Amino acid sequence: MEEQNINPEQSMQIIQSMINRAQNNVADNGFHFIFWGWLVFITSIVFYVTLKMEIQNGWLVWSLMPLGGIFTGIYSYYQHRKYNPDVQKKVRTYAEIYLGYLWIAFGISIFTVLFMMNKLGEATYPLVINLYAIGTFVSGGILRFKPLIIGGACSFAIAIFSFFTPFENQVLLIALSLLVSYIIPGHLLRNKFKSQ
Amino acid sequence: MKELDPLLHSQLRLGIISLLISVKEAEFTHLKDETNSTAGNLSIQLQKLKEAGYIEIEKSFKDNYPQTTCKITKLGIKAFENYVKDLQQYIKPKK
Repeated sequence: MEEQNINPEQSMQIIQSMINRAQNNVADNGFHFIFWGWLVFITSIVFYVTLKMEIQNGWLVWSLMPLGGIFTGIYSYYQHRKYNPDVQKKVRTYAEIYLGYLWIAFGISIFTVLFMMNKLGEATYPLVINLYAIGTFVSGGILRFKPLIIGGACSFAIAIFSFFTPFENQVLLIALSLLVSYIIPGHLLRNKFKSQ
Repeated sequence: MKELDPLLHSQLRLGIISLLISVKEAEFTHLKDETNSTAGNLSIQLQKLKEAGYIEIEKSFKDNYPQTTCKITKLGIKAFENYVKDLQQYIKPKK
């Protein structure tokens, strides 16, 4: 842009185009949705199989979760730290900050629900699904990405349905919830991010 | 009619402020890419905006590479709002 005289119409155009640029950039590459979507999806299917086959200590497959946490922690650290002009964060949007708060709240809530599993009993998994729904529904609103909003809405419905479902089948409903509100929208988000 | 804020009534400076108003903070290289400007010209305009108190500039090092981060101030937001308000007088169809 050269320094030159501009008229009010041009001023208006500059403001519009700059604000559009900032808004159209998707702030998220979908990595966390895809990673956690598949990890929890596969884990819950495996857990379901161990329940059906009456394998002892099948719940131990859930110990993959802290490993997943460590992995995504390392991934995020390198994404932010590594000097690479393509990857390096050049701009911090408000969307990223809101998302950060949302997922911290989500993490604390998941931890609380799982920690209180003994008290919650069969309501545990429906509440977990409800939390999954909040995560993607709100993320979709912040990122203005419809598939996440729709996926989140579906998980709200699945959560209600799962309250009336026996424990074993609740595990399958967790997998379904991951599929519709994390895996599918996550891949769609990644495609959109890559194409911009 | 009210005169438009001369500090903002410039293609590049208005572009910078419009970008910064929609994000929390942005790096120099990002501003340069988005506004299609040269590093030299961008530095000069950023300095002018900083002297007016419209933006804050923070220089730091990230893995031994210098990094300049820019952020709009409350005064900058106010100035931008006033600019847009004044601009509307010019744009409204004349009777």
